[in-house]
Amino acid sequence: MTGSSQKCEVLVIGAGPAGLAAAAAAREAGADVICLDLFARPGGQYGMQPASPASRFEAVSQVAEGRAAAARCLELGVKLLTETEVFWAEPGFRVFARQGQEALVIEANQMIVASGAMERPIPFDGWTLPGVMTAGAAQRLIKANGTLPGNSTVLAGSGPFLFAVADTFAKAGLRLRAYVELQGLGSRLLPLFVRHPSRLKEAAGLLRGLRATGASLHRRHVVVEALGGQRLEAVRLAPIGGDGKPQRSRSFTIDGVDSLCIGYGFQPVIDVTSALGAEHRHDTLLGGWRCVADPLTGATSVAGLYAAGETTGIGGAGPARLSGRIAGLGAAAGAGKTARADEIARLARQLADARDFAQGLARLFPFPGHLVDELSPSGTLCRCEDVSRADVEAAIDDGAGDALAVKMWTRAGMGPCQGRICGSSLAELVARRIGVSVAEAGCNRPHMPLRPVPLSIAGAALAQADGGCIR
Amino acid sequence: MPRTADAVVVGGGIVGTAIARQLARDGVDAVLVERKAFGGAVSGASLACLGTHMHSLDELEVLVESCALWRSISDELGDPFEYNRCGQLRFILREEDLPVAQRWIDGERAFGLDPELLSPEAVRDKEPLLTGPIVAASHSPGDATVNPFLAVRALLRDGGNAGLKAFANTAVTGLQMDGDRVAGVQTERGSIATGNVILAAGPWSGQLARHADLDLPLVPRQAQCVASVRQPPSIRTVVGACESAGGVESGYTQIQQAASGQILFNTVTAPAATRPGAEDRINEAPIGFVRDSIRTLTMLFPSLSEILMLRSWVRFEAVTPDDRFLAGRLPRRGLIAAAGDNGTGFCRAPVLGRLISRIVRGEAAMPADTLYAPSRFAELRA
Repeated sequence: MTGSSQKCEVLVIGAGPAGLAAAAAAREAGADVICLDLFARPGGQYGMQPASPASRFEAVSQVAEGRAAAARCLELGVKLLTETEVFWAEPGFRVFARQGQEALVIEANQMIVASGAMERPIPFDGWTLPGVMTAGAAQRLIKANGTLPGNSTVLAGSGPFLFAVADTFAKAGLRLRAYVELQGLGSRLLPLFVRHPSRLKEAAGLLRGLRATGASLHRRHVVVEALGGQRLEAVRLAPIGGDGKPQRSRSFTIDGVDSLCIGYGFQPVIDVTSALGAEHRHDTLLGGWRCVADPLTGATSVAGLYAAGETTGIGGAGPARLSGRIAGLGAAAGAGKTARADEIARLARQLADARDFAQGLARLFPFPGHLVDELSPSGTLCRCEDVSRADVEAAIDDGAGDALAVKMWTRAGMGPCQGRICGSSLAELVARRIGVSVAEAGCNRPHMPLRPVPLSIAGAALAQADGGCIR
Repeated sequence: MPRTADAVVVGGGIVGTAIARQLARDGVDAVLVERKAFGGAVSGASLACLGTHMHSLDELEVLVESCALWRSISDELGDPFEYNRCGQLRFILREEDLPVAQRWIDGERAFGLDPELLSPEAVRDKEPLLTGPIVAASHSPGDATVNPFLAVRALLRDGGNAGLKAFANTAVTGLQMDGDRVAGVQTERGSIATGNVILAAGPWSGQLARHADLDLPLVPRQAQCVASVRQPPSIRTVVGACESAGGVESGYTQIQQAASGQILFNTVTAPAATRPGAEDRINEAPIGFVRDSIRTLTMLFPSLSEILMLRSWVRFEAVTPDDRFLAGRLPRRGLIAAAGDNGTGFCRAPVLGRLISRIVRGEAAMPADTLYAPSRFAELRA
C-alpha cells in the first residue's frame, strides 16, 4: 500500500465548534489551512450533521450552526478532510493519519489541536449489559439516525449535558421513561443565571424539551445497578443521602427498561497534545487532565502547537468557538500572518465570560468520582480486558502503588481502548484506596499509535517519513 | 520503612525481585526498594523469553539451571505467571547464514540440548502462519515465555510470604559510606543501614555506583516493542531472527503472541550508541523502527498485515562489554552488583537470585560466580 502526503501552514485537528472556528480564523488571516476530523461529517458532537437531509434535525440550531461553520470554512478555502484519524504526530509538525483505508501524512508549520471531549463513564454494576450506553452515544445515534433502539429509556447521570440529551429526545419525538439526576438543582441554579441572564433562554428551552419527553423526574438519585440476563431489563435507583452517598436501603427498581443512557460529563481528549509533550494539568472543574493553553493565543508549552475547545478544559460549545477563533488567529500569527489585536482582546473577554458560566455550571454538577465506590467487588472496571474491582484491589494489596502498577498487574487499560473508558475511574479507585489525589494516582500516557491502526496503513504512512533506517 | 536490614536490594525489576525473594527465603532480613513501580521499567517492557538457544555457549550450564528454576517456581506457586513452554524458532533469510545457525545448534547439542534446523515446510508444521520467504529456521523446543508483569508480582508476593519488605515509589538518593565501605542506602523515605547493598537497577545501576565513586562498565541500549490488538491464536512459538549481518534481523528480533492474544514484536537494534541519560526520559519508539517492524512482521506472517497495531514502547537494557551480567562483589565492601542484563534479565534472574544470596550469606561459590564476577574487568578489581 502507498499513501499520500499534504502540506499546509496551519493544520487543525478536529472539525467541531472549536476546530471549525480555528480553521476559519487562521484562513481569514491568510494562512493555508487543512482541518481534519474523525467523523464522516464536520460539526463535532455538538453540531453533528444528520446522515440524511430528510432528518428532522436538519432545522435544529446546533446542526445549522455546524453546517454554517463548515460552509464558511469551505468558502474561505479551508481544506476539510473527514474520516481522517490521526495515529501519530511529531513535533515540527508531521502528522500520520488514516483516511478511510488510505495512509496520509500531513506536514504543517503550525498545528491546532481541537480534538474535543470524550465521555467520562463511571462503572456501576451491570454497566456492560447490552442496552446500557453513554448519554453521548445515545445523542449521537439519535442525531445521526433520528431514533434509538429501544422503547423504554431511562436517562441518568449528572450535569447540564443530560438536559441537552433529553432535549434531543424531545426533538426526535422520542419519549423518556425516567430522568435521573444526582443533583437537586432548583434554587442553586438561580445565582448563576442572575450573573449570566443571556443563558436563560437556552436553559428554558432545554427544560421544555425535558418536559416534552414525558419523563418522570428523579432528582438526587443515581442508578446503582443495571439488571438483566442477556440484556438490560430493569434499572435500580437509590436516593442520595445526606453524606452524598447512595442509600442502598432505600433503593427501588424500574422494570421493563430496554435502554439506559447514562452520562456524568466529559473529559478532554488530550492524546495528540500529550504525545507532543505539551504541558497538562489536572483540574476537577475542567474534566480532569487538560492541555494548558494561553488565553490570548491558544499557544501550548510546545512551540507552534495550539490547543482549543474541550482539549483545554470542558466548557461546551461557547468557550470552544471562542477559544478556537483565538487559537486560529494565534496559529496564523505563528505562521507569519498578522491578526487584529482588538479582535483578540474582545474574544478573550468573551471567552472569560463564557468560561465563567461553564465553571459555574461545573461547580453545580461536580464530577461524582466517588460513585466508583458503589461498584461491587465482582463488578467490571475495565471492560476491554474484563478486569473487576476486586482484581484492582488485589493488585494494590500486592504492592501496586499507582495506576500504572495496577495496569501492569491487572491489564486494566491495556485493551483496545487503551484506558480511554476506564482510565479516569481506575485512577479514582487507586487514589481512594491508596490515599493520594487522583492526579497523583497517574494517567495513561499515550504512545504510537494514538488509535489502533491496521499494520498496512501504519506501514504505508510511516514509509513516507524520511527517518531512514532504524536508529 | 525499616531503619536497618541485613540486605537492601535496589531495583524492583525481575532481577532485583528474584534476588530479594531468594534472600528472604534463605532467611536474610531483606528490603527491596523500587524507584517507581515494581517491574514498571525494563522488565515490564520486555518480552520475557526464557531459553537456552542462541544465547551464549559459555553460559549454557547456567541457562539450563535457570530455565529449570523458572519451571519449578511456576509449579510451586501454581502457575501464576502464564509460564508457556512454547519453544523458539530462529528464522534464517539467507543461505549464507545457515552455517551460523548450524554452529549454535552443534554447540548446544554437544551440551545435551536438542535444537535442530528445520526446512521451511517443517517450520510451518510448528508455526502455520509463518509463510514468509525463509530458507530455514532453527528450533529449540524447551524455550519458554512468562508474563513479565505477573512474574514480578508472583515473586514479590512469594518473597513477602517469606518476610521480604518491599517498597515501591521509593527512590534511592545516595549510598551511606563509612570510609571505603558502603554502610547503607538513603532513600526518599529515610535511610536504611545495612552491610549489603545490591545494585539491581538495570541501566540505572551505574548512576547508583557513582555514589560509591565507582564506574561500572554499563551502557544503556534502546530496545523497542510494538503490540497488536488481541488476536485469535495465531503464533505458537517465540519467533526470533538468527544471528545475521544487516537489516532489522541484525539486531535481536522477537515475535510472539501473549496469553492475552496480543501479538508482540520486539527489536533490539544493531549496535548503535544510545545517548547518555536516554533511559531517564520517556521515549517514543522511533518511527523507522515501527515501520521496519511492520515490514518484518508482515514479511514473515503475510496473513497478519491487516491486524490493528495497538501500542509501541521503548525500554533500556543495561549492556556490558562482554554481554554478560555483572553479578558479584564490587571493590567497595558491602556493595554488590546484579546488573547488565544485555536484554536477557528474565532468563537469568532465578540463578542470579541464588548467586547473590550465596554471596550475602558467605556460602561457597557456584559456576555463575566466575562467569559474572565484576572482577573480570580490571577497573572492578579490589
